[in-house]
Amino acid sequence: MAEYIIRRTFQMTIVFFLFLVFSYLLFNAIPGNAFSSLLLNPNLPPDAYQRVLEIYGLDKPLLERTQMYIVNFFKGDFGYSYKYFPKTPIELIAERLPRTLMLFSIVNIVAFYTGFFIGKVLAWRRGSKAETWITVTSVFSYTVFYPWFALMMLWVFGYKLGWLPIGKFLYPEKWYDAPFDSDVVFTSMIKFTVVVSLIQFAAYLASRGIESLSLRRNIRFVSLIAIFIGSYFYWNNGEALLQKPYASDIAYHMILPVMVVTVVAFAGTALLTRTTMMEVLKEDYILTARAKGISQKRIRDRHAARTALLPVVTSFIFTIVTIIDGSVLTEQIFSWPGMGQLLLQSVLEEDIPVAMATFSFVGVFALIAHLLADVSYSYLDPRIRIKSQG
Amino acid sequence: MSKDVLVVKDLNMHYETLSGDVSAVKNVSFTVKEGESFGLVGESGCGKTSVAMSLLQLQADNAKISSGSIKLDGIEMVGMSESELRKVRWDGISIVFQGAMNAWNPVVKVGEQIREAIREHYPNNTKIQNTEKIESLFKMVGLDSTIMDRFPHELSGGMKQRAVIALALSCDPKVVIADEPTTALDVVIQDQILKEIKKVQELLGLSLIYISHDIAVIAEMTDKMAVMYAGSIVEKGPTSEIFANPQHSYTKSLLASTPSVVGDKVKLNSLEGEPPSLIDQIEGCSFAPRCPNRNTTCHPELDMELVEVGPDHFVDICSASRN
Repeated sequence: MAEYIIRRTFQMTIVFFLFLVFSYLLFNAIPGNAFSSLLLNPNLPPDAYQRVLEIYGLDKPLLERTQMYIVNFFKGDFGYSYKYFPKTPIELIAERLPRTLMLFSIVNIVAFYTGFFIGKVLAWRRGSKAETWITVTSVFSYTVFYPWFALMMLWVFGYKLGWLPIGKFLYPEKWYDAPFDSDVVFTSMIKFTVVVSLIQFAAYLASRGIESLSLRRNIRFVSLIAIFIGSYFYWNNGEALLQKPYASDIAYHMILPVMVVTVVAFAGTALLTRTTMMEVLKEDYILTARAKGISQKRIRDRHAARTALLPVVTSFIFTIVTIIDGSVLTEQIFSWPGMGQLLLQSVLEEDIPVAMATFSFVGVFALIAHLLADVSYSYLDPRIRIKSQG
Repeated sequence: MSKDVLVVKDLNMHYETLSGDVSAVKNVSFTVKEGESFGLVGESGCGKTSVAMSLLQLQADNAKISSGSIKLDGIEMVGMSESELRKVRWDGISIVFQGAMNAWNPVVKVGEQIREAIREHYPNNTKIQNTEKIESLFKMVGLDSTIMDRFPHELSGGMKQRAVIALALSCDPKVVIADEPTTALDVVIQDQILKEIKKVQELLGLSLIYISHDIAVIAEMTDKMAVMYAGSIVEKGPTSEIFANPQHSYTKSLLASTPSVVGDKVKLNSLEGEPPSLIDQIEGCSFAPRCPNRNTTCHPELDMELVEVGPDHFVDICSASRN
């Protein structure tokens, strides 16, 4: 396994190198550059444009620039943003990333669980009236033109009903006298979410070895209650209490995008789960499980859904890869200032260092997700063992 | 005199299909005593497995038990609710399925799958108790206890089948159904598995229902047997009696089609024709169209009914009345 990961990392480095070279060349193939507008400004001395190009090294031949960029990239130097000069791309990303990560990790987790749950119930209740209707709805939400759907939801919930905010991730007027930056709040929200899920995961792992099913269920239930009580105390004490109104403001703004993207994203998982699980339900070991006298719910979850999980997880991991590029559209519609908007802006403004940095971030993310997918297979399906050779 | 463990009386089961009802099990009655092994033999599609599935009521969704009674230890099982049935399954009647290869969930460890069954029926057992139980089961069927932590694909076909037997015994059932447990195995392993089942059955005093199309295996394994044709039992009685003195024409044909290892090579008899479609309502003797022994004293128009021709030896009225 370790050998496999090392070999894959080596391969990934080569792929990433090629990725960098090609994207750099492609960005430079865009006609003009970020500073072309200086030429149009009559108040500037005529040599200003040329001097700016020299400062950024844009007067050098393309191949030399590419070589320099790649070398500097691996040294950890990503240059400066052309548009927000003293800031480096890393600073810009660090500011935007928590916003996107918070929104889309929640969307993906919610979409995956609802999709998986609905899918397995659909397969289990095959042929019932409810199954037909939910399947039809899922197909609708899977195929609906997403921007239109998002705008319709904004119109209904934001404008007509007025329940939820129209776009943006906070009410600026609330934040005038805020003692800290929105990113601080975002970071602490992410930290909180991660800690909560780790605790729940630990409770799950700890209760796995317990023989009595009812005790196992009780322990998980108690841990859930403990998390609720714990988070109540966390948000009402110390620094978190100060951040609470701001955090809730962000959370309030998150409701609509999370809802809309979930509705669109869950359907793929649900339909895929339904199909694979219907195949699994025909297997002999489901009959064995029934003959053993195991409860229907346990057969569904433990035997059928567990085996059907593999293709679903595969598709889910590939969805994660699209978090950032998928966020372009969503963030544009909901005016959510995250990575997606940064990416779009930097490309439009030909802010090459920033665009390159965001794209390579997406690239690294995709490569790692694929590696994770391969590694998780061997855990999910013991029949797949990663070979050291070949 | 040992008591009757399983009493099946006039069991009827049919599949509802688009082209009409298929009567897979027709008026099947038999009794299995404690510690006795009972064989059910017949060709493919004659309803053997349907009988087994009806006993556990695990039949497909479109299959309905229309009438009859199945009594386990005097308790009626037909018409039980799902949760009552769940208690009886595995604890009262367990089954060794046809394809042991696919009887295991590929992503769960073998030990865990057995543990799951025990946990369901003995919820108060501790982990150590269950582990000991599984170890003793594995020992009984000749498996190493390390197999517990293996995944099914890591076992050979014979090992899987042995583990399936261990699984079937895990809740100390009263009756074990073995539904062609050796179909997918090669002859050497088949023999080992059969010996294993025989040994375990005698050791634990189990009631065994052995289902097979191989009449030789039935001869070796069972005390009593029944021959099925087109959904109904055409002859039943003590195995030795049926082999010595077969009465029904179908039983005779089955016996004549079995090769003998000793002696000269002889051409085996085979039956002409096909078994009847079970969708059509069959009047009278279902075997009459293929019967090689038809003569003028036959009464194929008589409704099928078993009559006693010897001690505990029953045969269909059509064959019984023939001279």
